[in-house]
Amino acid sequence: MSGFMTSIAQAIVAAGLAPLLVGFIRWLKARLQGRRGAPPWQPYYELRKLFGKEAVVSHTASWLFKATPFVVFGTAVAVASLVPLVLAPPDPFAIGDLFAVVYLLLLGTFFLALAGLDTGSPFGGMGASREMTVVALTEPTVALSIVALALKAGSTSFSQIVTRTIAEPGMALGPGHLLAFASLFIVTLAETGRLPVDNPSTHLELTMIHEAMVLEYSGPYLALVEWGAALKLLIFLALAANLFIPWGIATTLSPSALIVGAATFVVKLAILAVAIAVLETRVAKLRLFRVPELLSASFVLALLAVMSTFLAR
Amino acid sequence: MDAVFSQLVSLGSSGMLLTGIIVLWRKSLPAYITAYRWQSWLLAAVTATIGYFGGDPQLYWVAVVLVALKGVAIPMLLRAMQRRFGASAETSPYLNTETSLLVAGLLVLFAYVLARPWMMASELPTRQGLPLATALLFVSLFIIVTRKKAITQVIGFLMLENAIALLAAAGTYGVPLLVELGVVLDALMGFLVMQIFVYHIHETFDSIDVEQLTRLKH
Repeated sequence: MSGFMTSIAQAIVAAGLAPLLVGFIRWLKARLQGRRGAPPWQPYYELRKLFGKEAVVSHTASWLFKATPFVVFGTAVAVASLVPLVLAPPDPFAIGDLFAVVYLLLLGTFFLALAGLDTGSPFGGMGASREMTVVALTEPTVALSIVALALKAGSTSFSQIVTRTIAEPGMALGPGHLLAFASLFIVTLAETGRLPVDNPSTHLELTMIHEAMVLEYSGPYLALVEWGAALKLLIFLALAANLFIPWGIATTLSPSALIVGAATFVVKLAILAVAIAVLETRVAKLRLFRVPELLSASFVLALLAVMSTFLAR
Repeated sequence: MDAVFSQLVSLGSSGMLLTGIIVLWRKSLPAYITAYRWQSWLLAAVTATIGYFGGDPQLYWVAVVLVALKGVAIPMLLRAMQRRFGASAETSPYLNTETSLLVAGLLVLFAYVLARPWMMASELPTRQGLPLATALLFVSLFIIVTRKKAITQVIGFLMLENAIALLAAAGTYGVPLLVELGVVLDALMGFLVMQIFVYHIHETFDSIDVEQLTRLKH
């Protein structure tokens, strides 16, 4: 029962924190580029504004268009309750499984692509086709890079992976571990629509991917989609942080462990957010036709990680 | 102690393999030269690690020679070549980047399968480096056969040489200083001969694209 409650609490904390993470990255990027930038809590104002507005829906749109924002946000919240954020209980059934998480995230993306096609606007179709091109390459890489860890832990349950890595710190220096981390980080950038794959700060580029799909959304629907996207970014960063560098995460329900777990979680997220902001300031967006090259490079990294854990024993 | 040792060796060997794969991914010559320099430094680091944990101080000297020659001198010569030819990108290799990367993944798998009996027979803590060195061997041969620019092929050859040095270091705890010196000097001679060839190709054909070599008249 307590495991159930903590899962829900984790999901609520994650949903509350996600806009701040996006705002923090935006603020840091602005600072690095010599602008003053909006304060880190700006996304909360934007969400409040969007929730207060009227939703305009195209006449040609079907029920799918209206259902999609709920699916996107719902799957993101469900995944947030499944992955280890602050707490990774030793009980193997208390917390999520690799396959459940990967496919729940894919479900949201799938519906978003359908909604992009639904209104019949040329931009939506373009965005959907590009998103599917990217996702077809990223999804196997996510699974493969986590499998590299799962092979060592002997289980696809996230809490098992975390406890196993804490028990054997030498493992974290192994090539399998580092290659899988690099590959998951590249995939995180692609999946969450960051540079060098997609530009998160513009609606007006011909090469946009995520923004092209959600171009028809407005009002509360747009707010849900944006919130879901922010939550997805938080989930990916949390996976990268907690699966590969799990130290500090709470393994019991005692208050002191939870406080330490929450503090280290925030610090890890902040470090990864700084890494993303610096990277986005330094690199330019890749041409769309070169994106598959980057993604197949990350796939090969994940493949090498699996090989070096599976075959070299 | 042995666990740390084998972990470090396999980490360094994976790094070397990665620099080989970077050549398949990137298209610009400066990136190739940087990748080669990193690879040579990693090779020196792996050699020094084996010297430290294996208790063979001679390997430190080997590492110093490796850094001086492959980590500093040859990259400088490569940069000089690049200045002379201009920054000509490897625009159209025989295989596109995605396919080359996937083929590289398969080659690594093949190397693991091939090195498996060897790894089972070996008791050394460095045995984790063997399949990675074999993989680097295949990847650099693959670079040589699929790239069109002569200078990229030279870099492929130099990486092949690094792979053999890594194989020797991981498989036998390093070869004696004298043998290593001989091999390194051989590699240097080979490199200089190839450099002269590349200059001649450039002079005759105004390009270092080896496809031009099939033209009878120029």
